[in-house]
This record gives sequence, structure tokens and C-alpha cells, in this order.
Amino acid sequence: MKTVTAAQEFEKIHTGQSLPSLTKHVTVEQIRQYAEASGDRNPIHLDETFARSAGLPGVIAHGMLTMAFANQMVTDWLGDRSLLKRLQGRFAGMVLPEDDVTCSGTVVSKHPQTRHVVINLVVVNQRGEKVLNKGVAEAEFPPQRSETHAA
Amino acid sequence: MTDPRWVGRSYETAPYQVTEQSIRDYMAAVGDLRDEGELVAPPTYAMVYGFDAYWQLWSDQEVALDVAHLVHGEQQFRFHRAVKPGDRIRTTGRLTAINTRGDMELVTFELNARDDEDRPVSDGEALFIIRKP
Repeated sequence: MKTVTAAQEFEKIHTGQSLPSLTKHVTVEQIRQYAEASGDRNPIHLDETFARSAGLPGVIAHGMLTMAFANQMVTDWLGDRSLLKRLQGRFAGMVLPEDDVTCSGTVVSKHPQTRHVVINLVVVNQRGEKVLNKGVAEAEFPPQRSETHAA
Repeated sequence: MTDPRWVGRSYETAPYQVTEQSIRDYMAAVGDLRDEGELVAPPTYAMVYGFDAYWQLWSDQEVALDVAHLVHGEQQFRFHRAVKPGDRIRTTGRLTAINTRGDMELVTFELNARDDEDRPVSDGEALFIIRKP
């Protein structure tokens, strides 16, 4: 049976709260699949010989694959992909096949007037080295339904 | 060094027809398979409908970026609305800056994606780093 997750409630979020982390094991097959799905077939992601000739240790994952993991961590927590309004990050290190990357995030501010929250993000590899830093996500929640009180 | 006179050059994609298959292929590739009921593309799917703008920049023979030594350094997105099957999206990319830092060249590329009614879908900014060989 399919389970559809419930959306996060704005009222229950608090500053300082950690999001559930997300770990992904990256493979050559996944990098190939991402190249096909995104259209980005740059040989540094696909061709070992080319990647080495470009001065890399071998094929590397697309930075945007790492950002897609960070995106997923946030939207898994939100329970609604359409709430994510902003996402940014700096690709601080290379991700290679067989790396395990872990995304984590913390709510750094909550704005009741505009019903949005700001989340700081970081992605590290299995050695604890940052592969994405200066990560920021912003989610905006729809206006609260007006309370129905008996007159 | 890329000639700074190309700052301001822009590229427009053909309208990208968003299909259920294309969204599902992307979700499978990144491993983001959670079911929300209605199919909404993960926001970073912006790289799929906008990719041709990046590609046009990278393959522009006049600008001639050294793509063999180019890596994606930073990326930002603003998402104005959810993307669903049936959307048709055009993305305009604009080369907005070329700077040097040490032995690296930094290329800034802005992206604006709009739907068939010319409403904004997403905006982005990419920073590419070209390491000198």
C-alpha cells in the first residue's frame, strides 16, 4: 500500500530544530543515470580517462546530484515539495563513486508573519569532509485557514 | 582567460515540455521517490528543464569556456511555483560576470525560467570555476 506523507505543520516547527539527516551511497551507475535524466553528459562525470586527463582523481558526481540530495532531505521533512522556495549551496568538495554522503539541516529562523522558515544545510562525506557548505533552504507555508468559531 | 566582452551574452532554451516520464526519470536518478499523491517535480528538476541553457553556454565556440577544467562551484535557486506534467517552460541564461581569483576563473550565469503564460517558474544563479591547467 502506498503511504502519502503528511505535510509539516508550521506551528510545530521551532528555531534550532534539526531535520532528520539523509545518507546516500553514490555509485557510478547513479551518476550515469543522473547524466541521462538531467541531460548533463559532461565527460568528467562519465569517462574515467577524460576525467583523469582533466586533473581529477576519476569521474566525479554532478554537484547538482549532491544538491538534489539536500533538496530531498528538506522536502522529505516538509512532506510537500511545493513548499520549498529557495535552495542554495557551495560545492565545497568532490563526490566520487562509492562515497557515502550525509545531508543535515537545522532551522535557523522562523517568521510567523510571512509563514516561512530558513534552514541551514551541510553535506559531508564518510570522512566528515564537507562536499556542500553554505547551504540554505527556505520554505514558505500557505496562509493559515481562518479559525471557525461559533458566533 | 575568457574574454570579458562576452559578459551579457544570453541563451534561450526551446520550450521544455514537462512529462510525467521525465519527472519520474529524474526522481529515480536522484533516489527521491516519496509519494505525495499528486506528482510534483522535486524543485532541483530546474536543472532538467533549464539544462539546455547551460549547455549552450558551455558549447558556445565564441565564448570558448575551458569546459574540460570547469566545475560547478555554487548554485542558488528561487522556486516561484511547483512544476507538474503538462508545463511548458523556457529558460533564459545570461552570462553576468567573469572574474579571476588566484589561478581560477569564476563565471557567473543567471537563469530565469518562465511558463507558457510568461509567469516566473524559477530563477537561478550558477557559479562555475575554471581551474587553470
